[in-house]
Amino acid sequence: MKTAPPFATGEHPSRPADFAKQDEAALLSLLDEVERRHGFVPRDISEELTRLVEIKLERLRRIQGKLDTTLRRDVQKHVAQWRDEEGNLIMILHAIQNQHGYVPREVAMELSRELGVKLARIYEVITFYHYFKLQPPAQHDVTVCNGTACYLKGAGDLIGELRNRLGVAEGQTTPDRHCHLGVVRCIGCCGMAPALVVDGKTYGRVKPSDIGGILDTLKKPEAKR
Amino acid sequence: MKPLTKSDLEALNTPPAEPAEWMRVQMDTGGIAAGAEEALAELIRRRDEMRLTIPALRVGSVGYSFADPLVEVKAAGLPRILYGRVTPDIASAIVTDHVAGGKFVDDHVIATRKRSTTLTSPVTHVLVRDTGADAGSKTQFFQFSLIEELKRRGLADRVQVVRALDLGLYDEGVAVQLLPAGVTYANVLAPDVARIVAESIEGGKILDDLLWKASDPQVRIVLRHCGEIDPDSIDDYLRHAQGYQGVRRVLFEQTPEQVIDEMKTSGLRGRGGAGFPTWMKWKLTRAQPAEQRYVICNGDEGDPGAFMDRSVLESDPHAVLEGMIIAGYAMGATKGYFYIRAEYPKAVERVERAIQQAREVGLLGSNILGSGFTFDAKVRLGAGAFVCGEETALIASIEGKRGSPSPRPPYPSVRGLWGMPTAINNVETLANIPAIVLQGGAWYASFGTASSKGTKVFAVTGKVKNAQLVEVPMGTTLRQIVYEVCGGVLDDRDIKAVQTGGPSGGVIPEKHLDTPVSYETLQQLGSIMGSGGMLVMDKTDSMVEVAKFYLRFCVDESCGKCAPCRIGGYQMLQILDRISRGRGTAEDIVTIRRICTAMQKASLCGLGQTAPNPVLSTLRYFEEEYKAFIEGGPSYARKVSRAAAPAPAPVAETPKPVVSP
Repeated sequence: MKTAPPFATGEHPSRPADFAKQDEAALLSLLDEVERRHGFVPRDISEELTRLVEIKLERLRRIQGKLDTTLRRDVQKHVAQWRDEEGNLIMILHAIQNQHGYVPREVAMELSRELGVKLARIYEVITFYHYFKLQPPAQHDVTVCNGTACYLKGAGDLIGELRNRLGVAEGQTTPDRHCHLGVVRCIGCCGMAPALVVDGKTYGRVKPSDIGGILDTLKKPEAKR
Repeated sequence: MKPLTKSDLEALNTPPAEPAEWMRVQMDTGGIAAGAEEALAELIRRRDEMRLTIPALRVGSVGYSFADPLVEVKAAGLPRILYGRVTPDIASAIVTDHVAGGKFVDDHVIATRKRSTTLTSPVTHVLVRDTGADAGSKTQFFQFSLIEELKRRGLADRVQVVRALDLGLYDEGVAVQLLPAGVTYANVLAPDVARIVAESIEGGKILDDLLWKASDPQVRIVLRHCGEIDPDSIDDYLRHAQGYQGVRRVLFEQTPEQVIDEMKTSGLRGRGGAGFPTWMKWKLTRAQPAEQRYVICNGDEGDPGAFMDRSVLESDPHAVLEGMIIAGYAMGATKGYFYIRAEYPKAVERVERAIQQAREVGLLGSNILGSGFTFDAKVRLGAGAFVCGEETALIASIEGKRGSPSPRPPYPSVRGLWGMPTAINNVETLANIPAIVLQGGAWYASFGTASSKGTKVFAVTGKVKNAQLVEVPMGTTLRQIVYEVCGGVLDDRDIKAVQTGGPSGGVIPEKHLDTPVSYETLQQLGSIMGSGGMLVMDKTDSMVEVAKFYLRFCVDESCGKCAPCRIGGYQMLQILDRISRGRGTAEDIVTIRRICTAMQKASLCGLGQTAPNPVLSTLRYFEEEYKAFIEGGPSYARKVSRAAAPAPAPVAETPKPVVSP
């Protein structure tokens, strides 16, 4: 299987995954080249490569360590703010979710170490409260208010229309992570029911026929590379 | 800001004279969502362009959600005028016409509810609106004939006739309000126009046959500062609202027992729904020997369709904080917690700022004002769990745990937060307290009924013309609230029922609307007072669907700790779902009743015990609807759901995207 190098020489990759791909691709093409020339991989080359892989692993571990430290520092920062408070777990989780948009697993694990609280207990709390999320947020957030006032004035029709147009059920995200369709209890805008919140923008007195226009204002997902 | 002393606070007791001119933009979540920021920006832009000096201020919301965003204007020499639905264009017109020109802007004025029956000063403006069923069709004609009549008498340049958005009267024909006095005439007919102009406007005489004498049923105690002061400024609260005078009074003039006695005289009962006497809660907490006691303000307003706590926290956070400090003093607590929903970021932000400001001026902290009393308050966020409105679950949540309730007794006043005696008071209860301390318990007890004293705030929403906050004395009838204050049912359909108390409450059918509101009467009708959500439903709303909606809410929110609530709720929802698809049997109703009893009797906390209420009350008053589904079968169910589908009524204005920050 031959993979073309993903980058033309000289182009500077901008994401970690691209860096890794570039390295890997260069070495793989070297191996292919050697195999084609000799019919097999000579011992000195294979030994050199093995050594290289070990060095690389060592380096990657160092990066991992550094990542862990930044993560730890990050969690410590949140914990420090609430250190002396009793019952601080929920407030720390709020701070973490505000930063990341959800509670990532590594962060929860680090928090468990930092607070000396079992991970299970942290997850017990996270999963109990609707407000905490375990999945990263989508690019756009479409939220329908289904408080009683909105419900009476036709929030159900709005949800139906959104389900049809986005192709996902309430609480789900489109497969391309473009849009999340959420339903909330009450946003307190009962005076302009039924209400819809799109990325923090509130639309009041929405009719199902307005949905198309509102969704068009969201940008199309970036074309896949 | 430097710390206040007792004498500073005494000096602030007499509010300074009302400034001559201002423009106030009401910035609560609803207002901001409807475009209050844009309105404010436009007011400032236009004002600067015209080189005027009138200050543009941010205040809380008066609660007229139907007309958000709201702007109130006091121009020099003119009465205070409230404008609703202020788009940037209207904001610009307000500055140009009203502030600079003394002419009100048509179609956006919301008339004052403080109506007068005497003409004290010459009329300068006339508000006119057709309050009849056909929604203002005659307004234009009456404006025209009033202007013509004024012209004939040579008064046209002295008196302006303005079409109003709302006059506070409904279904009373054409109504006219003469400003600045506030004299209001209702059921005005075409021949009356000449009389109004000749006798009242020119002659200064009241036309007794037209005069609207009834005063507005609303009394604002909890909402007294909403829309009057800047919620982000302790200075405004101290200067213009007798802020923290209640704290000064209790700290220096009353013993804790006297404060509790005052509460007893006032008859104030918990506004969170159950109606436990506040004084007794405080007394019980105080009576517990403990080195530490806590006050908690319950701002976990999870009830869908209710927004009074949010509004109070956003519009007058200092009053709630002041109430908490007084409560702390009365029961010997030194720490307070505000437990607020994370879904209310504006309320959280404003309460946090209020606490910060109070700490800076020494109204929180150790040795407050040199009295030796120490108290501090903190904010804790809820995280979207309805059950956390329940006392014991709320305490668990503040302790950083899952919000699972625990059996009572022991009550929180004995063993609460971290095992210490704790009093949990609702936002509205605490907001009442400074007013009671300043004006006396007897004054507060003069409102309301024998067993339910004072006033209650309701958030009236659903199929009602003017969705808004209403504060009325206890004993006001539901019909008065829906028809006299909120203008009746949307599109003048027939009212079917009013739902109170949210998912823990029940529906009250049309025939019981004349019941005076109090804790007991609502309970007798199978509903509860609840925190104050009031949903109006018209004839097109299916009660089976409504019961299902509320039950689904409770099933979603059940914490799962006890079986009656976890399993009973789910099974009942399955049955209701079956019935609403037309596949139910006659036995289903019997089964539902049985499950309801089991849940009420055996559930651990209030959530499970009250979850059957919406089902039971709809069964009680609208059993024929359930039967119709059962007897009509799937074809009937399809017909009902088809009829309900195009429910969203044609609304005059098109929805507009409005940005909130």
